[in-house]
Amino acid sequence: MIRILFFGPIVERVLQREMQFEFKIGMRLKDVTETLQARYPEAFQIVCTTAVNQVQTRDMEYPLADYDEIAFMAKFSGG
Amino acid sequence: MHNAVRLQTEDFSVDAELAELRASSLRMGGIATFVGCARDFSEGREVSEICFDAYDRMAVTEMNQLRDEAVSKFNLLDARIVHRIGVVSAGEQIVLIVTGAEHRAPALQACSWLIDNLKQRVPIWKKEISVQGESWITSHP
Repeated sequence: MIRILFFGPIVERVLQREMQFEFKIGMRLKDVTETLQARYPEAFQIVCTTAVNQVQTRDMEYPLADYDEIAFMAKFSGG
Repeated sequence: MHNAVRLQTEDFSVDAELAELRASSLRMGGIATFVGCARDFSEGREVSEICFDAYDRMAVTEMNQLRDEAVSKFNLLDARIVHRIGVVSAGEQIVLIVTGAEHRAPALQACSWLIDNLKQRVPIWKKEISVQGESWITSHP
């Protein structure tokens, strides 16, 4: 199972903070990203950072493992 | 004794954080402090509250990484970073950065570097609440 997390302004466009994807062998980050982009196009208009297991990555070919955690995040605005 | 780096919903005491920083070394000759506060006016609107959301585990990891980098880059003796999450009312404190070094210049430089990098690298988001509505903020002024 892949755990998907959303925060802040993304939550308001997806209308949930968390969801799960069934893990399949050979799954890559782009598989999850493209599926969610198609499902939530407005949310992904403001996604600018992706993290796998709390580490930022731009590598859409990143190979996923079962129980990985992916976060799709808008531009940070803390401070 | 509080963790030197943390997220919390409750307000923080600048005096208490300074005391903990100072207790870490008697060699500290310069201490710099930055306190970010919630303004009651933003982009033409009166703001009553700011709501902060965070990817808490990643945020704390990144804040610890920033602290480690600052200690190394500026040869600090110690540094502390505290950021509030949840609802913060106008006028209240949001974030605290305190840096201590043997001399003032590296302490001041590190403090400025830390808040600039926190804004860019730590996964925290803020939404301003006003009578005109709510608005997520995406800029880094």
